[in-house]
Amino acid sequence: MLAISKVFSAVLVLGASLQAEAQDAADARVAALAREVADKGWIVYGARAADGAWDLFVSRPDGSGRRNITNTADFEEAAPRFSGDGTKLLYRRFAKGTIIDHDKWGFQGCLVIADADGEQPVVYGADREFPWACWSPDGKQLACLSKGGIEVVDLATREVVNTLQRKGMYQQLSWSPDGLWFCGVANHQGRSWTVVRMCAQTGAVNAVREYQNCTPDWFPDSKRIILSSRPAGQSGDDGYGYTQLWMVDGDGGNQQLVYGEDGCHIYGGALSPDGQYVLFTRGVVDGSGAEQDGAPVCIMRLGDAPSIGGASKDLRTVHRETKDGPVLVLEMGWEPHWTYADIGGE
Amino acid sequence: MRRIAWCGGMAFAAGMVLAGCSAAPDAGLDPNVTSKGSIEVTARLVDIPGEFIDRKDYDYAFVMEYEVLETHRGEVSGKTIYVGHYNPLKARESVADARVEDIGGNVRRFRVGAVHRIALEVPIDDHYMGGIVNRYFEQDTGPIYWALWTNRVVL
Repeated sequence: MLAISKVFSAVLVLGASLQAEAQDAADARVAALAREVADKGWIVYGARAADGAWDLFVSRPDGSGRRNITNTADFEEAAPRFSGDGTKLLYRRFAKGTIIDHDKWGFQGCLVIADADGEQPVVYGADREFPWACWSPDGKQLACLSKGGIEVVDLATREVVNTLQRKGMYQQLSWSPDGLWFCGVANHQGRSWTVVRMCAQTGAVNAVREYQNCTPDWFPDSKRIILSSRPAGQSGDDGYGYTQLWMVDGDGGNQQLVYGEDGCHIYGGALSPDGQYVLFTRGVVDGSGAEQDGAPVCIMRLGDAPSIGGASKDLRTVHRETKDGPVLVLEMGWEPHWTYADIGGE
Repeated sequence: MRRIAWCGGMAFAAGMVLAGCSAAPDAGLDPNVTSKGSIEVTARLVDIPGEFIDRKDYDYAFVMEYEVLETHRGEVSGKTIYVGHYNPLKARESVADARVEDIGGNVRRFRVGAVHRIALEVPIDDHYMGGIVNRYFEQDTGPIYWALWTNRVVL
């Protein structure tokens, strides 16, 4: 009996030791990723400040140098986007106490244009004006999405210089870095929550990915789109499933998982300016946590895609070949974005 | 015991008949339904295609089929029209939100066979920007109407 007990204890000790070694190795890989990205520009995101209000924060991609760049007493700020050259920032400003809706934020509050470090903020329009505004590649125009269509606005004059039919698009508009395309979430061919690509010249639209997709954003090469997707057929959460991060060619080809984790919803996908790293949020509550406190901001190498986090038995059954690269987990936040420009600060 | 049950059943049935007879006709009129939008109809809801999506954190319009009984304002494309109702699981009196502010009515739930007086706009895309569940997409439905105000009607 004593012998059995000793063997059992030895197995436990060995198991604990192996687990500790595996954890050390994982920690080492994450630490290496943190060192790798530390000096690669800045990220910006909305997050709850100490007083509970949403403010904008910037930090190095490893989380260092974090600072609040809005910190207003009477307002809340969220949904920041750097201009292509990294000199400017657009975001939305809400009345204090506003509950930010994860699907309506694009027409909540006022559009603000500021320097990339948050200085010189200018309230660009009244409440609900310039909905779903996004930058043109050169930062001299904005594109906005409203019931009337996609309106291209000259930044300096605020005049609408072009209007396209929105062709069913209804939220999360994004303009490709080469200026040739828009993407967004649309009703398309009878299906809602389809991410579509629209030719900026002709207005022609094609489906990128159908069924339960949102928060699309462009790769730097303008050829691919990163998006959140909740594929059908998942058993988790009583059949509702979990939202994963995918990348797809603009014409709908090459649909590939980037990151997924059973039990978590992955939103806010964005690429580093060189396309080497992926920024996203990983929350246990669907909707990216906009109505609460956001979700942990995460970074992984694109070269590690597809990766699956946690046990994720169901997801691993569907995607058997995963690289399971390291994921750097930063502060709680929402809708992060990345620039390699020097925006100042330590 | 059986007699008591029989009497109770008869009383219940009689009550139901009386209740049905006592429901006063109601044309569904109010200042909103007679003024909002460019079209106003009284119509019977003839089809709800499948289940509504029961996720409180996602907004959508759900397209349903109506038979037009009377057109009060504007014009409709035919006897049968297809109407998108916003977040159909919500009572009309509390359905307005940040995305869709100017809608309402007194219909509490949608039932096939019910008659509604509805203020409408058309096409839906000119007046509503959000997800649309249109299970008639493969059919030739003509334009999809957008319901602004939906009141119940008792004929």
